[in-house]
Amino acid sequence: MERPQNSVVRTPPNSTAVQRRSKSKSYRQSYRSCLGAASRLGLTPGLTARRLNSSRRALKSHIITEKVNPDHLALLVKREWRLSYITPLHQFRHTQLKRYSRQLSAFIAAEKQQGVAMEVEGSQSGFRVSFSVVQGLAATDDDAETVLIQPQIFSRPVFAKQDEPQKSVWSGWLTCINGNPEYLQSLPKGFTSLPLFGGSGAEVLTSLVKSWFQQTFDCCFGPLEINHTSLQWLAALWTNCHTESNLQHLKMIWTLPVVPPLQITYTVNPQDAWELWMSVRKDRLEKTEDEEEAGSIDIEEVMRFVQGLKSHFYRHFRLDLSAGNLNQVSTALGSAKFSGKIKISNSRYMITTLTLLTECALLKMPV
Amino acid sequence: MDDSARRLLQRLIRRIPAQMLKPTLDKWDRLTAAHRQSMDFTESKWALTEKLLAIYVIENPDHSMWYALQLVDPEDDAHSVELTQFKEQFKSHLRELIRHVSIKIKKHTDEAVWIRIAWGDSFSRPNHLKPTYVVHHLQTPYVFVTSLTSKLKPLLSQALVLSTRYQAIKDASLSARKLTAIRDLLMRQYQQVFPTKYPSSLVENNQNASNILINKEQAELAASRHQKACEAFGDGMLPQLQSAVYKLETKFRDHTNKTMTEREEAFRCVVKFASTNLLESLRHCASSGISSTPGTSLLSSIPLKGRNYFVITDNGPGPSSQTRQPPN
Repeated sequence: MERPQNSVVRTPPNSTAVQRRSKSKSYRQSYRSCLGAASRLGLTPGLTARRLNSSRRALKSHIITEKVNPDHLALLVKREWRLSYITPLHQFRHTQLKRYSRQLSAFIAAEKQQGVAMEVEGSQSGFRVSFSVVQGLAATDDDAETVLIQPQIFSRPVFAKQDEPQKSVWSGWLTCINGNPEYLQSLPKGFTSLPLFGGSGAEVLTSLVKSWFQQTFDCCFGPLEINHTSLQWLAALWTNCHTESNLQHLKMIWTLPVVPPLQITYTVNPQDAWELWMSVRKDRLEKTEDEEEAGSIDIEEVMRFVQGLKSHFYRHFRLDLSAGNLNQVSTALGSAKFSGKIKISNSRYMITTLTLLTECALLKMPV
Repeated sequence: MDDSARRLLQRLIRRIPAQMLKPTLDKWDRLTAAHRQSMDFTESKWALTEKLLAIYVIENPDHSMWYALQLVDPEDDAHSVELTQFKEQFKSHLRELIRHVSIKIKKHTDEAVWIRIAWGDSFSRPNHLKPTYVVHHLQTPYVFVTSLTSKLKPLLSQALVLSTRYQAIKDASLSARKLTAIRDLLMRQYQQVFPTKYPSSLVENNQNASNILINKEQAELAASRHQKACEAFGDGMLPQLQSAVYKLETKFRDHTNKTMTEREEAFRCVVKFASTNLLESLRHCASSGISSTPGTSLLSSIPLKGRNYFVITDNGPGPSSQTRQPPN
């Protein structure tokens, strides 16, 4: 399509950033390797060679309910989390969680006294923070520290009855699942990497928690967007699960940069989406008999899947969706938004979804 | 206006002493002179509340969804139905169908007849807090309805058909929040552009630039795109539709994907376009080149057919709710 001079439309810069076709699963030197010198952690250039996997294992449904405390799981699923990345934490000890709980509670109370505006549903009394470790989510690789920590901030409403359960006004977690082993092993002693942070609740509380972390562990937070490649990965990975858990629908939301902005919601019947996905995978599956190869998915297949959806759309509407931005992907298994919000509705796929997000976080980190 | 606001208004009017109502409304100064004159302060407070609510809805017709209906198969005398006849007939027919109903009909300056219906049933009096509003332009086959439950729809349809002297009424597959939008769209009251051979009248402005020839070529292309966009969607201010829904049940055809192309079943999906002003967004898509050949795409059916809900299948024109298949 020619680029018209007078028009105000430009294809968004990230729309065609397709990863090179590669069947190899090894990591390759990336364009970011020049960061080595600037790294304050002293990482060697080779280890900053991180880029989103060009191929990954298919989503396996992990029955993690046996391994993980169901209460913890219930808290994680069906809630929408706002994601950030965190740089490695200094002197973070999993054994000191009680101390951290007390410190964070005190910090929030002090900030509140100082007059930081916090309207949390009319509660007058104090907060109680509790940190807990979510055991069992650690991946089976030789990763370091793949654990979840979860501060939940409760508040006691003024007129609550004695035995009324406390309402959790904020909760969050830090995790690292299937992180890049080379990177994790290269961290200097004393540093723990939990690069993915999710928070849900009042923004004020999120920023308070973040500042406490920054002060205590000398780390940095930053917003984590889920870029369109990752969104497409999620669309494909979720569609792949249709035979195990009903997708109910595959919904994608695009926005086109016109005046006024046009939002396109493209909802595909799950069975048809799955058949399209299988047709894209067919070639790959026929060629290889190796089960391991068959179990992994290539970025090329993901791209072809989404391209198929786009061309069906184009045939009817003569609109190329590549001209727009993919903002949201959602199915019954979860939803992900470009702005960095994620909701996992089915605990079976938590590990693989979090793996992808951990990768995004590690990639986005400036160190 | 939601229920709580309505009830609040009721309570307010009840509490204000009767003699103070007129001075209060005058002081409030939100009603136009015409409205104030139409308020008859000898009526009961209840009647006044209703009147105020009616004024609110008429002045703010965008607070709920409006649906368009179309009358079909006119009888011979359909075109000569005039206001008094329509009023009498409608009221009597509707009252025959349902006993407890309160109907108020009013004609507005723009030839629109506004009907306010408060429905009751055999056990209760008409509920004035949830009335249905109907707008009909006499001499046209279009009727616009809001706040109508599916239970009561057949009654209203029957009354409309009989009083307008048509044989049937159908769903026009067009809905939006702004009454003016669907009205303008259906009655083509926006600036239409017809294909011309010489598009010079719509040429966009050009800034001075160094390379004249390239600019000229680009300008011509841009102008022709703009012209085609306006032909497809109209020029100037467009009716403010907010959304369009297409239910696609066509086969998947892609020469790069043999498996899916050979598949017999349809590829089912639903596409929804949404914007604060949908037609303007689509026109901008066409004029900026994001959409190619806007005239032949399904999107131009929105203004062409005056609908915003479509079911697209591979078969030829089927029942009235379907449109033709897209060219390959």
